[in-house]
Amino acid sequence: MLDNPYHNKTLQWLAYAAVFLLIGIVPLLTDDDFLLNQLATYGVYGLLAVSISLCWGSGGILNLGQGIAFGLGAYGMAMTMQMQSQAPGTIPPFMANNALETLPIFWEPFWNTGLGIALALLVPTLFYLIFGGLMFVARVSGPFFAIMTLAILSALATVFVALQPYTNGVNGISPPTGLVIAGTKIDPYSSTAYWLVFALLLICTFTAKLLTQSRFGLVVRALKDDPERVRFLGYNVAVYETLVYALSGLMAAAAGASFAVLTQYVSPAQFEVGFSISAVIWAAIGGRGSLLWAMLGAFTVQGAQSYAGDAFLNTWILILGFSFILVVRFLPGGFAGLAELLLGRLASLRGGRREEFGQAPAKGAAK
Amino acid sequence: MSGDMIGGFLKIRNLRKSFGGNQVINDFSLDVTERRLQCLVGPNGAGKTTTIDLISGRQKPDSGHIWLRGDDITGLGEHEIARRGVGRKFQIPAVLKGLSVRENLEVAFSRETSALRNMFRLRAPGCDEKLAEVARTVRLTGRLDTEAGLLSHGETQWLEIGMVLMQDPEILLLDEPVAGMTENEIELTVEILNRLKKTHTIILVEHDMNFVRKIADIVTVLHMGALLAQGSLEDIEKDERVRAVYLGTEDAH
Ligand SMILES: Nc1ncnc2c1ncn2[C@@H]1O[C@H](COP(=O)(O)OP(=O)(O)O)[C@@H](O)[C@H]1O
Ligand SMILES: [Mg+2]
Repeated sequence: MLDNPYHNKTLQWLAYAAVFLLIGIVPLLTDDDFLLNQLATYGVYGLLAVSISLCWGSGGILNLGQGIAFGLGAYGMAMTMQMQSQAPGTIPPFMANNALETLPIFWEPFWNTGLGIALALLVPTLFYLIFGGLMFVARVSGPFFAIMTLAILSALATVFVALQPYTNGVNGISPPTGLVIAGTKIDPYSSTAYWLVFALLLICTFTAKLLTQSRFGLVVRALKDDPERVRFLGYNVAVYETLVYALSGLMAAAAGASFAVLTQYVSPAQFEVGFSISAVIWAAIGGRGSLLWAMLGAFTVQGAQSYAGDAFLNTWILILGFSFILVVRFLPGGFAGLAELLLGRLASLRGGRREEFGQAPAKGAAK
Repeated sequence: MSGDMIGGFLKIRNLRKSFGGNQVINDFSLDVTERRLQCLVGPNGAGKTTTIDLISGRQKPDSGHIWLRGDDITGLGEHEIARRGVGRKFQIPAVLKGLSVRENLEVAFSRETSALRNMFRLRAPGCDEKLAEVARTVRLTGRLDTEAGLLSHGETQWLEIGMVLMQDPEILLLDEPVAGMTENEIELTVEILNRLKKTHTIILVEHDMNFVRKIADIVTVLHMGALLAQGSLEDIEKDERVRAVYLGTEDAH
């Protein structure tokens, strides 16, 4: 029986290792700190795409509001960095400008760096657990769930703009100095920042990959096909859905927190619908069925935007939309689907014969 | 109130279910004995599938009770009922089409259902041996790496029977398992079922009396959501009321 190397687990791990090796050695090849910062930002987008692929690709749960976790994570980190730069007893200048005299109670924990970072990650995760739990227990799924995530995202954007004295509204928060951890300041324009993002991306992607290969991942892939059927096997489908959604939220929160470290800035733009939808497009173009390809999709699209987007300016969004339509229509598995197809062809050419039925067609193909 | 154990492995009392004013199950009671194969027959629309739905938790009854080994399982969630040892095969074969045959069988091996514990397990202990055995039983050993959506109709039926077997339930609810199978496939299914009923309790929904004859220990006739008659196949075939409502229509088959 001929096997498509695309489905070979050992080869998959080798591909992951090779790609990460390549991205890992970048700082050894360049001293350009601005470039490193930009590439690290792509790493953050890559992590966001991985988080979407985990939920949408394996579990079929389309989430158009991943900016919820990304934005909350970014705000949590920016608040932590802001408080690091405050002298004890003082309040951030924007609060004084908005006629606040004392620090709002929910800002207090951010005096403590460890606690602040923990909150940046845990608040969004908890939010996903509760919101996801409510939705999935009520068996809300598919487009209805996607629309609910959009609604929550828009609501959050409104809240963060409206709470001007506490969040600085549309202006957002720009901490004056970079994040300090254990007495060391992390310069966002340095190989250190790049390595940190790289390590985070590596850990999250490999953990997610292991998860998809676990029994948990098997059940999640099964419920993508037919949640009803999976219930009759004894699995509590809502628990599986909630957990995979919350884990993808945790990863998006980590991406958001890193984003705040790299840019030293956060604003309600992180909650913009367009941003969350872009993240879904990265995963779709790369191939939502594969964590690695979803990540590469984010690199490609964001890279293209940085270099070609300047030339096209306003038409860039049209180009992006058009590419998305092309992918959905002709390549539902994204680049990953193309790779699967080509590797399958290659294998059958090598074997000298085509396989008739045994060959599984695109697993990542839209259902 | 608790179900007494004599003849009460599965005990159904006064079940009622209506869909928008249409009384589909009407004061239905049934006792299922352990390690028997009980066939549930009746004309189309009699409420056979709905009965299976009510036992397996897919539908909640309007009133009435279901006990399994003396435990009231009425109104429990599908997954809770499944965990108590109830396995189900659907009338329209329901396999996970995007997964391989192997993965379908693996996911059906559901001894460990905890999501948290399953996160830290790459394999389930004992799964491979069970899978090899079940695949042999349902003749899918050579098809394990095939995507389930590409199977023939008969193979799909077997895969779903295989999934129920992987679950290793105490009681199997099989809704028209041989529909669409070829003669040879039906023969093999008869073999499988006759072996299985020595160790398992089975409720099987079927139209075809020739098939029922080969497997049934007890036949229960359902008519308009109520129990019409019950007994051995000979008794049932002699029963005037049954002839009137059911076998009469079956002759045209
Ligand atoms: N979910 C449902 N909603 C409305 N009517 C239903 C539903 N399920 C079954 N019915 C109706 O109940 C009756 C019995 O159906 P069913 O149990 O499938 O019969 P059988 O399996 O004996 O052919 C039919 O008239 C059917 O239309
Ligand atoms: Mg039916």
